[in-house]
Amino acid sequence: MAKSPSFIGSLKPAGPESLTNLVIIVLALVFFGTFLFYTDIDSIIVFYLFYCFIFIIIGQGWNIVAGYTGQISLGSHAFFGIGAYTTAIIWLRDITHTWYFFDPLVMFLSGLAAAVFAVIIGIPILSRLRGDYFSFATLAAAQVFTVLVLRGGKLTEGAMGLRIPGTLFEDLGIYYWTGLLLAILATAAVFFVTRSRLGLALRAISEDEMSAASHGISVLRYKLIAFAIGAFIIGVGGNLYAYYIFSISPPAVLNLNWLFYPILVCILGGNGTIGGPVIGGFVVGAIVVFSETLIGRVHPMVSGVLIILVMKFLPTGLIGLKAKVFQRH
Amino acid sequence: MDSFQAVLIAQTIVNGILLGTMYGMAAIGLSLIFGTMRIVFIAQGSVLVFFAYLCFWLFKLAGIDPYLSIIIIIPGAMVLGAVLYYGLFKEAAALQDRISSLLIAVGLMFILENFMTVVWTPNPRSVVTSYGFASFTVLGIHLTLNRLLGLGIAILATIGVFLFLKKTVIGTAVRATSEDVEASTLMGINPNRVNAVAFAIGMALAAISGINVASTYSFDPVYGFDVAIKALFALTLGGIGTIYGALAGGIIIGLVEMLGAYFVGGGWTQAILFAFFLVALTFRPQGFFGRTGQKA
Repeated sequence: MAKSPSFIGSLKPAGPESLTNLVIIVLALVFFGTFLFYTDIDSIIVFYLFYCFIFIIIGQGWNIVAGYTGQISLGSHAFFGIGAYTTAIIWLRDITHTWYFFDPLVMFLSGLAAAVFAVIIGIPILSRLRGDYFSFATLAAAQVFTVLVLRGGKLTEGAMGLRIPGTLFEDLGIYYWTGLLLAILATAAVFFVTRSRLGLALRAISEDEMSAASHGISVLRYKLIAFAIGAFIIGVGGNLYAYYIFSISPPAVLNLNWLFYPILVCILGGNGTIGGPVIGGFVVGAIVVFSETLIGRVHPMVSGVLIILVMKFLPTGLIGLKAKVFQRH
Repeated sequence: MDSFQAVLIAQTIVNGILLGTMYGMAAIGLSLIFGTMRIVFIAQGSVLVFFAYLCFWLFKLAGIDPYLSIIIIIPGAMVLGAVLYYGLFKEAAALQDRISSLLIAVGLMFILENFMTVVWTPNPRSVVTSYGFASFTVLGIHLTLNRLLGLGIAILATIGVFLFLKKTVIGTAVRATSEDVEASTLMGINPNRVNAVAFAIGMALAAISGINVASTYSFDPVYGFDVAIKALFALTLGGIGTIYGALAGGIIIGLVEMLGAYFVGGGWTQAILFAFFLVALTFRPQGFFGRTGQKA
């Protein structure tokens, strides 16, 4: 795994660099917080930013597992799909008796369902497997889930999928605000996790599992917690996406793009950093949205070329650029 | 159980073995690449399908017999493998950087899949030769010529790779590198050359499987990912680092897929396969044929 410079940098005490970071964060928050007041709400930019927020959310969910425990999960699309399907099922079966559309309770339950699934598959997988075997096992578990959805009978309606009432759509405003809020919350969650005992334990595990275990860290427990938190965040991302597409079907929410997008977001931005997935989210959002509208259906080819170029010339991600620039001067 | 059913099951088993050799071949390629570079080359399946399309084109446009086109495609595949290694994976392999090499392979898969969709359309294709579906029956089991030829070529290729690894100097270097990269480098083995050779052989095996796929099954651009995943499973089941383990793992996967489809129904095959893989991996993480205590 590539060690990015800011991964180590985050252990340093606050200095002038962290002040610049703070200024950047405040400026970004002010910019995005007031953005809708001087932009046409139906413009493609708002649509683009909504996508970016989704990418940031799922990117941070993946980041918590891969960036901080060094385990590459290949099951993100299952968590994403669980979030979306939970939303649809709760809504269509009228389970919580709330208003469902952008309902915080449904959002929470969608995340929770993904986290529960993560714990169920995580206990056997994480206790026995690590490294590449862990990656393949998460992929296998996710594919099992996909087949279960396809064969889910009345509950999931198979390949047809579920439709939630689309008449509530008015404008992109609420999507923008919720997306922004959730992206901030996801980033903040990663920030606080890394600053907590949990983050310290995770870092110790990713450095040397054996040594961490001999120092009294319950490796399985901490890995499982990180895996569940990551799944929760990705599940909430799935919930947000469900409100946007309205028609929840396996090709829409369980396709492998949702496995690759979070990885792309993290790696392009800088894996194992807090700011990396944010930068990555905007870049991947730009690739997906603009190449889809400009070029049409060839866009995975573009993203393929882009991944290769970034990995070849910038393996620490875009956030590594900053460190490179600082080193030169 | 009446005899009719017994024959059907035997037929299913034979089909599973024949399908499994295809996965096994792809898994051997993966195993070589993983062994020397620790790279999970997930684009293997897409490359395989790409060669299937080349075979399809040679057959359609130039009228070249699919089995004859092996002579043309395999050297091309080996050159392609070396080019891919030097062009894309050299730096990542030197750094032992797993995430970037995995992602480069993913990027390559995206490019290939979409390239094939643009050039050859997403419709399924197949190569139909005049003699390929000539069939004969042994003990009530139905066999077609193309499947038998595929099996024969797969066995020959496996023996070839095995002999190459055991008998030649460069083959020994490949084995040494998969045992211990640092030590083999200290012994004067150039890791880049070894890696390029592993990639070239991996691509040649993908090409052979691709030709078998083209002449036996129908294929489309996204079929490759499916094959890659099953080859990965075959590799993990067999235990990373053994040639015959990878082939046996592939045959197990083929059998589980076919028998699962027969006993439970087509739609569930994937779930059965992945669940089987999960359970097998949980109870025997080093694979069925792997050396114990070996780290992945």
